[in-house]
Amino acid sequence: MNAKKYRQVRAVVAIFVGAIVSIAATRDSYLLSAAGVLTGMIFLILVRSKARIIVDEREKTIREKAANMTYAIFAPTIGIGAFLLMIPYRDISPVFAKGEFAYLESLGMVFAYLTLFLITIYAISYWFLNRKYGGGRDE
Amino acid sequence: MGVAGMNNKLKIYRAIHDLTQEELAGKIGVSRQTVIAIESDKYLPSLGLAFKIARLFKVNIEDIFSFKGETYEN
Repeated sequence: MNAKKYRQVRAVVAIFVGAIVSIAATRDSYLLSAAGVLTGMIFLILVRSKARIIVDEREKTIREKAANMTYAIFAPTIGIGAFLLMIPYRDISPVFAKGEFAYLESLGMVFAYLTLFLITIYAISYWFLNRKYGGGRDE
Repeated sequence: MGVAGMNNKLKIYRAIHDLTQEELAGKIGVSRQTVIAIESDKYLPSLGLAFKIARLFKVNIEDIFSFKGETYEN
């Protein structure tokens, strides 16, 4: 199996998993959706191990840049989102004073912790990779 | 001029050795898209891949890849 065939199989599996998840969502069955996603993942892993898929250096570079870009966009977005959600609107607006939107503050807290988690993961992986590739040591 | 002031003659060497992009990609262990990207100066190969290409054509790296950027003197 070549890369083109693998891409076709992946598209079919994605459609299949999407259909299963939509059916599961209409029937409120979390088990069915989890089983569908898991089956799709296992199937793709098996197909990938059988096929000789080349992940060459150009693709690795693209993945690195995409991951970097994702981090650069996601971290500030979720950080600013957390800040905006945690502003004490109760004190500012009478609409919020009723407490109907209290969940927004909780959501802000979740976002804030997610931002911290993201930055921590980035810092740890940066430190680890920096050491792996010989940085941070004086000769 | 290509990426970071680099140019290459990969297309010429590939034609001399009568190889298709697919065949060259198979020989050096990359995808055809990578060969296309290198030939059109959109992607700069790693040093390892540059050595692989040079060894395949039995030439020096400088024969295929050339640097047209600034040079610095000590």
